[in-house]
Amino acid sequence: MRIGLRVEDGACQGVMMAGQTKVAEVSTRDAASLSDAAEQTLNALSTTMGANVGEIIVDVGRVLSSRPLSNVAVIRISPRPPADVFHTSKLPRIVEGIATRIMHVRGGHDIRAHELAKLDLATFERNVASLVQGHRNVAITALGANSTDEHEARIADAILAHDSDVRISISHDFFANAFRDRDFTTTLNSALMETGEYLAVCLEQLGHRYFPGAKVSFVKNDGGRASISHLAVRPVHALHPEPASQLVGLALLSGQADGEIIVGSEHSVRAGTTRDGLPTSTSLLRNVYEASLATNAAAIEKYTAYHPVQPLTPTTVVDLRLDRDGPLPFGLEPSFSTQDDAALIGCATAPWTAWIDRLENVASKEDLQRVQRIAEEDAKSIVVQSGGSPVLTRVMEANSYALPYGNPGIVRVRVQAADNSEPGITALPADCQQRVKA
Amino acid sequence: MRTLNSEDVRHFSKGANFLACHIDPAAVFAYEEMIVQALPTGDVRLINIDELDPNDLVVALGFVTQGLAIADMPPVGDEFVRCIQAIEQRLGRKVSALYSLAAGNINGILPLMTGLQTGLPIVDSDPMGRVLPLISQTTLTLGGVRISPIAVTGVTGEHSTLDVEDPQRAETLVRSLVIELGGWAATAMYPCTGQQLAEHGIHGTMTRMIKIGEILGAEEPVESKYVQLMRLLNATRVARARVKHMESFSRDKALGLPTQTTSLTLVAEQTGQIIRLEIGNEILLVLVDGAVAAAVPDIITLLSADLGQVVNLDDVRVGQLIDIFLTPAAPIWYTEAGLNLAGPPAFGLQLQHPRCHA
Repeated sequence: MRIGLRVEDGACQGVMMAGQTKVAEVSTRDAASLSDAAEQTLNALSTTMGANVGEIIVDVGRVLSSRPLSNVAVIRISPRPPADVFHTSKLPRIVEGIATRIMHVRGGHDIRAHELAKLDLATFERNVASLVQGHRNVAITALGANSTDEHEARIADAILAHDSDVRISISHDFFANAFRDRDFTTTLNSALMETGEYLAVCLEQLGHRYFPGAKVSFVKNDGGRASISHLAVRPVHALHPEPASQLVGLALLSGQADGEIIVGSEHSVRAGTTRDGLPTSTSLLRNVYEASLATNAAAIEKYTAYHPVQPLTPTTVVDLRLDRDGPLPFGLEPSFSTQDDAALIGCATAPWTAWIDRLENVASKEDLQRVQRIAEEDAKSIVVQSGGSPVLTRVMEANSYALPYGNPGIVRVRVQAADNSEPGITALPADCQQRVKA
Repeated sequence: MRTLNSEDVRHFSKGANFLACHIDPAAVFAYEEMIVQALPTGDVRLINIDELDPNDLVVALGFVTQGLAIADMPPVGDEFVRCIQAIEQRLGRKVSALYSLAAGNINGILPLMTGLQTGLPIVDSDPMGRVLPLISQTTLTLGGVRISPIAVTGVTGEHSTLDVEDPQRAETLVRSLVIELGGWAATAMYPCTGQQLAEHGIHGTMTRMIKIGEILGAEEPVESKYVQLMRLLNATRVARARVKHMESFSRDKALGLPTQTTSLTLVAEQTGQIIRLEIGNEILLVLVDGAVAAAVPDIITLLSADLGQVVNLDDVRVGQLIDIFLTPAAPIWYTEAGLNLAGPPAFGLQLQHPRCHA
């Protein structure tokens, strides 16, 4: 069995699933702290067949979104520093104030991973003490980091040699074509690492206290999950998981793993697509004209009068409104209505997922096939190492792209793998279902 | 002369995106922000071609890219100033005004920033009237105006000045340099007199971008915007069609490597006609039920049917309802010489341009 947990400061909702059946639901409010709320919820759930719980999956998006961001020292590596303030990479408002120190280091690569400028490590090492003074979080973004992490890693090593307690985030870990998108994502990730670290430790301890045999993981923005230890390193992937989890949950509730899901709520009507119960994803969360967040997240769009009708695609319309007196907009006829917390159910049933998103240099069709195959194997390996089934882990998406006016031979290879095991162990009969109040 | 304000700059970037929807607009919007922030430090002055003295030295500014988007490797800000200085040094004369290498996307907007930095005015003219991929594909080439000296400054600040007669040869040399300079280079080229630009340039193209942006940004119904765009640009709507299929492969490279989307298949909402867009960095062809409805150098723009906003090729999705707009290029591009330089044959398509049938 699995537990899905949504934690907040002072509140926690939990659901216990046996296969595809909900067997218990707990909601804790007005607790003294996040850990108290989570503990009370887990305690209540442990009274319900707790011995059989093998997985605890936590949604930490609301905590990450609501807690203050930590201050970050930002290091930008490029051949030359900006000549004026107007050409300085501008961070979006959400992180602008927390980048309390910004430093330029000479270095950087081109798209072929050729060095554009030698890394000025000597000057950096002389200044490293003043740079990290007062900062526990550092974000490093280098020119050409999509193609190599060499300069970012060397700067990170120099910082750690000076102070091994500094948390470091490098932009090579986040694929985006625009420097400012990587800069923003790395800075935000760095600013979230302290909270991510706390959550990883706290939730793993609590989970093991009440369910000693259970694996603890967190749900990601793509609707899949990853080991809780990764939350300390890349918390940005756990920042917006609810839209994806909701699709996963609704796909499960509707029994329609492949197709389109249109979700009507009090505020909006939105649409997304699932394959094998997992949302189709985009690699950037766009924010109008500001920098985008480089994270794989469910592709969800606003439903409009021009929304395509695809007769061959199974479509499920879900009415999530509390007040259903009036019809849904656009003449939509609900396939079903539910008051279930679909996002929490989706969290509880999230599969292990992994992404490979990187640049490759290829010289022939055979080369291209080889790098695609390696990327697929790498993605599957990560899933299996996390705990996915070696037999049932499969590639959900595999693409290769190049840019217009791009360098011949440079391709972006993007692969998603997921564990396709059935969630939980076995489904329980309906008469075993119960609700637990905390 | 007109001094641009921040609203003008915002409209300018929308218009620059409209005229080149095949290129990711991230760098255009980044430049827009940069220019708006910098406006309090100086003026962006837009002048008509007839405000120039015939002997004034003017120079085209533009990025040339090969391999890495400008958005991935932001310029530090002194590149174009260095290029202008190099041209002045080589020619022993001061530059009097700047103009855009292309009236669209990043090369449309960037001279505004350099104008702010240098205090030089921007001429309301350009040598393409749209965006074309090669630096040799200009009306100045058609008019026999020399492309060189060409000043080139790369990402690292390394720079070079080229003297080359043949524009096609210049293309080869500049591209080769750009690869080793890091993926893009700021360039200043086609230094010429005000009279040469007046005779061989395309005029009013900067103002046109502002006007397009004003229409697109107005709080008006989509259809009303379309009517105004058609009036302004002599444009037509080829079809309102839904994207059915996207292909992404390379047909040009022997390796068969993938590239950006290379063709879109759509079905017209009203007529059921099959619309096919063929793309090779540019939107090269629009076929309606197999017949050529538009071909480069026609300017093709994709707009979302619900919002009337520009849809860039990177953002096209299957199922999307799109209005396909055709804006004619400057008349000189439909002459025999113009079509040879920037018509279908220049992109490897052996077909007659539909406007030649008339």
